Amino acid sequence: MAWRIGIDIGGTFTDVAMVDEASGRIGVAKVLTTPDDFGRGVIDGIRQGLAENAIAASDVSLLSHATTVVTNALLEGKGAKAGFITTRGFRDILELRRSSRSDLYDLFQDGPAVLVPRRWRFEITERIDAQGEIVTPLAEAEIAGLIEAIRDAGLETVAVSFLFSFLNDAHEKILGAALRAALPEIGVFLSCEVLPEIREFERASTTAVCAYVGPLLASYLGRLSSATAALGLPELYVMGSSGGVFDIAEGLRMPAMAVESGPAAGVIAAALAGRQLGLPNLISFDMGGTTAKASVIAGGEVAVTAEYEVGGTGGSGSRWMHGTGHPIRVPVIDLAEVSAGGGSIAWVDPGGSLKVGPRSAGAAPGPASYGRGGTQPTVTDANVVLGYLDRGALLGGALKVDLAGAERAIATGVAEKLGLSVADAAWRIIEIVNANMAEALRIVSIERGYDPREFSLIAFGGAGPVHAAALADELAIPEVIVPPAPGAFSALGLVATDLKRDYSRTLYADLGEIDPARVAGVIAAMETEGRSMLDAARVPAERRGLLRLADVRYRRQAYELTLPLAEGTVTRESLNALATAFHAKHEQTYGHANRAEAVQLVNLRLTAVGRLPGLTLAQRADAAAQRVRQRDIWFASTGFVVCDVHWRDGLMPGTVIAGPAIVEAMDSTTVLPPGWEATVDRLGYIRMKRIAA
Amino acid sequence: MNDAVAQPAARKLRSDPARFEVVKNALTSAAEEMKIVLAKTAYSPLLKVAGDYSCGIFDIDGNMVAQGPDLPIHLGSMPDAVRAVVRAFPDAAPGDVFIHNDPYQGGSHLPDVNVVAPAFLDGRLLGFGCVRAHWPDIGSATPGSYGAVTEIYGEGLRLPPVRLYRGGKPDPAIEAIIFANVRTPTERLGDLRAQVAANWRAEARLQALARKYGTDTLLEIMQEVLDYSETMMRAALSALPDGEAEFEDIFDGDGVIAHGATADETFRVKVKITKRGDTIVADFVGSDPQVAGPMNAPLTVTASGVFCALKMIVDPQSLIPPNSGCWRPVTVSATPGSVVHAQLPAPVVYANHEMSHRVADMVMAAMHQITPRTVMAGSQGTSCVMTFGGTDYRSGERYVSYESVKGGFGARPVKDGINAVASTVSNMMNTPIEIIEMSFPLRVEEYSVIPDSGGAGTWRGGLGVRRVWRVLAKDSHAAVCCERTVTPPFGLEGGLAGAPAQIVLEQPDGSTRRLTSKGGFTAPAGSRVILDAPGSGGFGPPSARDPGRLSEDMIDGYVTQAAARRDYGFVP
Repeated sequence: MAWRIGIDIGGTFTDVAMVDEASGRIGVAKVLTTPDDFGRGVIDGIRQGLAENAIAASDVSLLSHATTVVTNALLEGKGAKAGFITTRGFRDILELRRSSRSDLYDLFQDGPAVLVPRRWRFEITERIDAQGEIVTPLAEAEIAGLIEAIRDAGLETVAVSFLFSFLNDAHEKILGAALRAALPEIGVFLSCEVLPEIREFERASTTAVCAYVGPLLASYLGRLSSATAALGLPELYVMGSSGGVFDIAEGLRMPAMAVESGPAAGVIAAALAGRQLGLPNLISFDMGGTTAKASVIAGGEVAVTAEYEVGGTGGSGSRWMHGTGHPIRVPVIDLAEVSAGGGSIAWVDPGGSLKVGPRSAGAAPGPASYGRGGTQPTVTDANVVLGYLDRGALLGGALKVDLAGAERAIATGVAEKLGLSVADAAWRIIEIVNANMAEALRIVSIERGYDPREFSLIAFGGAGPVHAAALADELAIPEVIVPPAPGAFSALGLVATDLKRDYSRTLYADLGEIDPARVAGVIAAMETEGRSMLDAARVPAERRGLLRLADVRYRRQAYELTLPLAEGTVTRESLNALATAFHAKHEQTYGHANRAEAVQLVNLRLTAVGRLPGLTLAQRADAAAQRVRQRDIWFASTGFVVCDVHWRDGLMPGTVIAGPAIVEAMDSTTVLPPGWEATVDRLGYIRMKRIAA
Repeated sequence: MNDAVAQPAARKLRSDPARFEVVKNALTSAAEEMKIVLAKTAYSPLLKVAGDYSCGIFDIDGNMVAQGPDLPIHLGSMPDAVRAVVRAFPDAAPGDVFIHNDPYQGGSHLPDVNVVAPAFLDGRLLGFGCVRAHWPDIGSATPGSYGAVTEIYGEGLRLPPVRLYRGGKPDPAIEAIIFANVRTPTERLGDLRAQVAANWRAEARLQALARKYGTDTLLEIMQEVLDYSETMMRAALSALPDGEAEFEDIFDGDGVIAHGATADETFRVKVKITKRGDTIVADFVGSDPQVAGPMNAPLTVTASGVFCALKMIVDPQSLIPPNSGCWRPVTVSATPGSVVHAQLPAPVVYANHEMSHRVADMVMAAMHQITPRTVMAGSQGTSCVMTFGGTDYRSGERYVSYESVKGGFGARPVKDGINAVASTVSNMMNTPIEIIEMSFPLRVEEYSVIPDSGGAGTWRGGLGVRRVWRVLAKDSHAAVCCERTVTPPFGLEGGLAGAPAQIVLEQPDGSTRRLTSKGGFTAPAGSRVILDAPGSGGFGPPSARDPGRLSEDMIDGYVTQAAARRDYGFVP
């Protein structure tokens, strides 16, 4: 037997998912997260999972991990003592950023945080121009002074980012070599190695993020991997923000790749489910206690964005505003995130409008219905009052529910202020949180030019399947899918992915004019890097893939569209085909194309992939677990109505359930509204469709 | 939950509260989407990377229902710009797109070009989209259209509201007129197409909402969104004490040096605020008459500065959707023909940002007498605009570069100011240096904060910024527009003023000359232009500054030891 193990650290629980490669059988272990030392919870979870499923360490074929270390270090300001060295005249570029403020009208807003305080920012005389020519040679005589300053300040790492190093990296390379030779104990991150792309602030910021989180990530992964090795487990892999896993050495070269690794895992799991079900178009919807995340998979492809801000505050689904976080230019799975979860608090503003969130009751005090001191009405409380969640106990009986507390919170917080009954108020809370989440779904679908009617919604996270059908109605999505183990689905994604590393090089040229050999040369250089990464990971030839992409735009635009570039020899024809594809995509995305205009190549990208053998996820049913109860559930069209409540573990393949009904499981509850019908497929997926208005 | 806001008895909405919230948010996100479409498809760096534009959704009468997270500078005048289209084209039909930039019909200055399109469903008008975008050039004698002329006729191409598209297709005659009058027409065409694309996105979103909820419901909620903002604004105003306050400030000049004079003459603007119950009046009576050069503000531009400052003062948590309803309890008045209420044919190009910036700061200063804990000291008070134009020696093509450099954001009663960030009416981004140099024959040689430029105080003002350009290979026709070279941004409650602005031209031989705050000049090949954007004022006496904060500032070099001794009484 060969088992793959995925470990996802959440705010409350650390989920360990185990999948048997041959049968697709799934095991899940949930242990409390241990924020003082995340590794302890991980090891506890693995031990428990191995024991409960009778798996020997030697049967484990892949160990994969989503880490929050990078994101947390940035959010909490607990990174390394990092320095920054740049071209003379530009010491402050990390602080000057793009000069816009994050909130238009907040009089008391803070300026954006800067990873490197001014005292640790240094300059060196050198300059390269916009053609990549050296205007001022690097003043090598100044290097000794910099080394001394770094030593004196007791810095742990240094980020180096010079102007136009993406066109000519000679100066960065010379300084980098000198620093590495003189200061072997200090981590040196060069922008030409981390991100050879245009825009000096974004490149410097990405490099600084790497320097800031590098040591922490190194020590965390070092400790964790020695602990897992001690258990006799295989090498530890880490999930990257673009949805592939890489080994530790690779991750430490580019620590910024490890942001948002947990949410990425959920989308990867959704993509796998889509392949199994033969559904190329999916909107993934992941709802937990504090946030909901949406992403789109179109034509089987996970959507990836090149712009991201990490460690910021606020952020309510719209990532357009340059905010308070630190921009990184690495591929990140395109997620829209909104502050909407089970713990989100409902309130009435002075204008008489009902709001839900962004504040959350979190795990402590938690929703009023948890009876742990919470008094403000939350989404979970509304779900309890309406009967979507069990009014007696949750988590298979482990968590007692305080129904009276939930009703009281909604009565005083919302119903009395708006002159509504408690049930009406609860329903409005649900309507608003659904609208907020629909916004996230809309951002990743309609706003990107996709029609939700051509997609299925795959819902996971503890609360996702509760709200999914209502969201599908909101966006006219015809089908909802609830996968196996929705409560630990992101952990499943960790073992369902491929080995993956993204490379990029900036190459400015009009597609009609550039020598195809130049494009081929740049691609060849990236392919060499990709191959050596795959060699190091011992990926056999038949499971390797090198995927070429190009960022292209009209010459005077600033934002590119990313399109695939044909395999094989780069020719005039293949470049022309790329231009033609660009015009079409521009028209599809923005409604117009300018076919007379020159199309400009900006970046070439390469994704090196080591494919893991395919995996089939399945929910095993057990007829003995069949159980149907009944309770009163409220729907807008019916008011309270008595509904069947099924226990998921007992639902045999082929079972058909007509709504209104509920399907409960240990880790999640699925709501099937009136007019909806659910079918359990042969793999145990619940597939829900609207059959009547 | 939001304890800072007074909690009057919750008002009852006419619409279902949940539906109202959904539609209100959908309207705002429609405006945000317009913004994304514009940025991603525009051609000029000013739009695609610096964000000098605003997008909005308007009702059938031209009231602004939703604005994207754009520029507060456009709050006051965009509705008038759309109303001008509504008035001029009662026969608007599906597929129409209108264009205009007339400051005397709700425009702000000629470079700000409004593109307005109606949205229809089944023959019924739902409302309008409007994209106001700053074109880096709109003609005139000066590349960038920032010359110090004395009539609006010299400021570039002035377009009254005209129909640009009919049935979804552009009118080639109108486009030909436009592109014959601007430098770099290819770039302008790309920008114009982007503005139209953004409007089409607005139309699609309004149609989708009308289909889903019904046209009647949508139109009713659009009205209720305006009422909602009005209610919220009145509640917020009621929470402030009543009172009257005045403030007067001196401006550097208008860029036109009178015959016989050796320097640009300064002028005065005066504001009187009267706050009573749930209303507020900002009266500018007593301000100087309009000036010869382009520092004259149409009243709507003046109003934008008032609205922006009031929004920050009464609603610091941004709970009130900024739309036309917000301003119903606010009255802005001035004497026609004064510098804050310009009349045709006064030139206006500088005033758009320079007057509105300063008016916002002045309202802060006056309101300090009424509500001292929710205002800030004087911010940069200028957009520090620098333009270069000519021929790129690398390609032989014409170019126009337009940049705005951001200085300090004022100190607050409980916090330092912010270094080098857009304040009040502006929120433009800088243009990345690598994009500047790839696009234009310029080399940026320095971009850094200026030590000691933040006004000393218990809470220190934000630092100003130095940006230095070298002009490469060929002479450049440059222009500058930067207030606060004469009077610095004020401090409050004993806080000191921030450092003023300064513009210096350094010739290739190293000799230097200080430039007047506004107007065109030739920057020879090899010369450097050194622009210092102002710092902002401090809040509270410097002697009360926490010594730990002062020490940190000195370690980081934001404050030098000499300045610490002088301003803070620091003893080493």
